[in-house]
Amino acid sequence: MWETTVEGRALHFRLAGINNQNFIMRDEETGSWWQQISGECILGPLKGRRLKSFDHDELTFATWKAEGAQGRVLRPDPKIEAARQYAPADWEQSVARMRVATTLANPNEGLPARTLVVGVEAGGRSKAYPFEALERQNPITDALGGVPLLVVLAEDGKSVRVFDRRLDGRALDLYMKTGSNTLLDAQTGSEWDFTGTALVGELSGRKLGRLRPLKDYWFDWKTYHPDTAVYTLGD
Amino acid sequence: MKRWLLLLLIVAAALALVVVPVVLIQPFKPQTERSLAAGYALKSWAPLGTLALAAVALLLAARAWRGSRWWTKAALVLLLVPAAASVWASRQNIYEVMFNPLERPAYVSPAEANYIGDADMVLAVERGGERVAYPVRLMAYHHIVADTVGGVPIAATY
Repeated sequence: MWETTVEGRALHFRLAGINNQNFIMRDEETGSWWQQISGECILGPLKGRRLKSFDHDELTFATWKAEGAQGRVLRPDPKIEAARQYAPADWEQSVARMRVATTLANPNEGLPARTLVVGVEAGGRSKAYPFEALERQNPITDALGGVPLLVVLAEDGKSVRVFDRRLDGRALDLYMKTGSNTLLDAQTGSEWDFTGTALVGELSGRKLGRLRPLKDYWFDWKTYHPDTAVYTLGD
Repeated sequence: MKRWLLLLLIVAAALALVVVPVVLIQPFKPQTERSLAAGYALKSWAPLGTLALAAVALLLAARAWRGSRWWTKAALVLLLVPAAASVWASRQNIYEVMFNPLERPAYVSPAEANYIGDADMVLAVERGGERVAYPVRLMAYHHIVADTVGGVPIAATY
């Protein structure tokens, strides 16, 4: 999700190629090539510029609807739909069976290549949290690059958010309240929802800062974050 | 004989200008920095290059045309077809042929979005009170959708 204004100039992007499972975009204005995953311009007149990322979440439709009454949803193109070109609902399973295309010498180093991970960047460091670990240990409390963080899986079992645990100069310790989707902090006992907002208790109304997770395959995350750490249960 | 060889080489070069970049940027082959840079250079030169090569090919063919037998004429036409095709191909975006862009993105209210289920993933943004959801199944096909959210022009990508 990228802001498309660069140095005051509005750019319009088209698909220009597929690179290592991510894709290349071309701006119509200069013909430069940009990498979709990093927002970096890799070739052409604007080489070296970076797109500014736009905050976003990857959520289930139900969770998105539950978090706000209004909003708009992108519609399919009727011609594409009629031609059945959109992937079927279980498309991710067929991707999981595809060959891994990568420049990594060993894409299975560290973790099996197609392990689903939640990738996070903070304080100049990166770390991959295997999705399976998050399913077994939810939420995950950790610190990365000096940032105390919390990786949370929603009740829908698919939406993931990462929060900065710092509030008023201290790092909160948060736990899942048994039998519900709410978090409790050990410091004040306030209750927090999946948007990181305290609804009940002393800190009611406060919001935790967010970090941007990327749900990705391990080999792809490692390609773009060669020095990444890996979270293991019990860390 | 030399003219034929030259004609063959020119047509081959024109074809290479459009075929090589596609081969370099294949979805299931890993790419290196150098092959991407080569692909970019070839793609940049292809529209002009194929036109120039096709023009030279046409000239050579015209020279060979006069006073030649019918099968020679046929061979010349056959050689000019790929030359013309490469001029056309250099102006096409094969990736947009594979994945049609959404030229005029349209949106519906959450209640009207009956084409996705509650468990389907969406990319969600919120800015200035405006909330938008881009279903991942649609984004996985279109890859890029231009939008303006909270007054900010963005590109949703997947």
